[in-house]
Amino acid sequence: MRTKPNIPLRGQRWLYLRDLLRELVVRDMKLRYKRSILGIAWSLLNPLTQLLVFSFLFRSVMPLHIPNYPSFVFTGVLAWSWFQSALFTAAGAITDNRELIKRPGFPPAILPVVTVTTHLVHFLLALPILLTFVALGGGRLTGAIAMLPLVILLQFLLILGLGYFVATFHVTFRDTQHLLGVCLMLLFYLTPVFYDASIIPARYQALYRLNPMLHLITAYRTILIQGSWPDFRTLLALSAFVGALLWLGHAVFTRASHHFVEEL
Amino acid sequence: MVPPPSSAMAESIVVQELGKRFRRYRADRPATFKEALLHGLHRLKPAEDFWALRDLTFRIPAGRTVGVVGPNGAGKSTLLRLIGGIGRPDEGKVKVQGRVGALLDLGAGFHPDLTGRENVYVNGVIAGLTRHEVARRFDGIVAFAELEPFIDNPLRTYSTGMQMRLGFAVAAHTDPEILLIDEILAVGDLAFQHKCLDRIAQFQAQGCTIIIVSHSPTSIQQLCDEALWLRQGRLVAYGPADVVAGQYVAEMSAETRRRTPTVQPVLRTPAGTELRINENRFGSLEMEIVAVCLLDPAGQPVTELDSGDPLHVEIEYLAPEPISAPIFGVTISREDGQVCYDTSTEAMDLHLSTVQGRDRISFHVERLDLIGAQYYVDVGIYQHEWAYAYDYHWHVYPLVVRPTRGEKGILRPPHHWQIGDNQPPPRKGAGL
Repeated sequence: MRTKPNIPLRGQRWLYLRDLLRELVVRDMKLRYKRSILGIAWSLLNPLTQLLVFSFLFRSVMPLHIPNYPSFVFTGVLAWSWFQSALFTAAGAITDNRELIKRPGFPPAILPVVTVTTHLVHFLLALPILLTFVALGGGRLTGAIAMLPLVILLQFLLILGLGYFVATFHVTFRDTQHLLGVCLMLLFYLTPVFYDASIIPARYQALYRLNPMLHLITAYRTILIQGSWPDFRTLLALSAFVGALLWLGHAVFTRASHHFVEEL
Repeated sequence: MVPPPSSAMAESIVVQELGKRFRRYRADRPATFKEALLHGLHRLKPAEDFWALRDLTFRIPAGRTVGVVGPNGAGKSTLLRLIGGIGRPDEGKVKVQGRVGALLDLGAGFHPDLTGRENVYVNGVIAGLTRHEVARRFDGIVAFAELEPFIDNPLRTYSTGMQMRLGFAVAAHTDPEILLIDEILAVGDLAFQHKCLDRIAQFQAQGCTIIIVSHSPTSIQQLCDEALWLRQGRLVAYGPADVVAGQYVAEMSAETRRRTPTVQPVLRTPAGTELRINENRFGSLEMEIVAVCLLDPAGQPVTELDSGDPLHVEIEYLAPEPISAPIFGVTISREDGQVCYDTSTEAMDLHLSTVQGRDRISFHVERLDLIGAQYYVDVGIYQHEWAYAYDYHWHVYPLVVRPTRGEKGILRPPHHWQIGDNQPPPRKGAGL
């Protein structure tokens, strides 16, 4: 049987979890920017620099001939950096918070959620800039933008599902994060961030298209740049995959969480 | 003494056949993927299991204060954690009725770069309050911690004592129905400690169930209704605090006696007193008191002094093997056994590192303000958690404070009489 002590009684549980999430996310944000001059602007500096480099490289040095290239690449860069930094940080979600794990009643499963949410906030802060780019760069903002929250939600749950796995592994194997860094770098090149998926030769496409980030980035681009509705069949398949992944990740995490305190 | 727990009362904690198993891993268990791949996955499996807790069954009625005593490794903290819902039992169950609060690792969740205010909010929510609840209690928390002027400064500017106070204040305002305390708190200065104990008494009065883990049977006797004694993860006794804690103390001293080697040559102190094992000398003798000298400020040995004189106690010890963080204690007691003063290096927060070989430690009393009588200076060296004595010399070193006529009691503080306002001062001064 399970005891759920320390939790405000009855219907307050969700209210409490919401407050806990909010406080921990705000704490993370404050800590990151508290003693820096640029503050929150730092979160924009990185993708903007990448945007500059990619635009210069693939428009002037080795032209890829992709229309609306700045909007195109900025969409990819923002979605990818959310994925990459959130997943990388999620690996340390348990090991970096051992004092929280040792608190009676603290729900460890919230820690990966906190990490992914913190990076979601960065993504959302950059979103207006992206929309400006799209508007100025000849993109078409249409009603399809109503689908944007759904795609964001799918990406959130995808990172969270993977985050539960890496956070669990990192408790036992402390080089998970290093290994993850290498994998993420490889995956970056296997994801159409700065190029278009169509340039991959046909015989590799089946394998190449197993990457869920490919479908998410494609969906963002379809909505924002082409202004049309994303492919619903793909999104549905992706939802099923993400749902299963999240369920499994959470189950593995919960099972292991009973021993976190002993292993930290 | 309190009546024994009756089944008619509402129970806030029910523990049934509780067992918690820890895995002991091989020393060369891989800690990284790299090692796991290089050396094979079989080393990941636990080498053996051991039970940190086993077959534990007890009930704690609502509103009781229960102390958990036991030597190190008896499973006290594991039990506290399981009651707090951290980790899951491998056998049996723990049923907890009510909101659990904890005074463990005070201020552990604090972050130095956030202000006191921000830390209160974060920690209040971590401790189980909603933001709204924290906001309502905020002023109370800050007032209790006595940190109003500093609350918007970053926590790194706070002293350790201030941080502990803030930690206690947050924990004290979470309205727990069950409160878990690990070790009686030594928070901040004496006045604040007093406030903490008052707050704990207030919790008791409000009907809060309290579980205290402590190494000190004395504080368990003072604070608790019942005591629960654990040994190697099993329940030894559960009953009225003074009885169980007393039984525990008796066993601990039996432990000291058992460790005392029986065949030891009779030794004599330099002054000629015989040291007889288990009569006036106790302990495992892993570390020995070689000589104790009572000295005056000039460094000359004394056996007699006047009330108010300084006294230096020089202890020469020998540790053949390295001993980690021993505690030195000095007690001044009367011939009849009445303890007049008792202190230790630990009481002074003086933590020794590992000692080995022959060395000295001295203890200085600036004024020995005791009434004239025959005293003994008892000297002991204890294991770093007071589990047992390495060497303890009891009533071996006599000390006479020269009697003064017409005074009784124990203390003889510096004093004088003043008669009226216009009288000439008395001809004979006393005390100073």
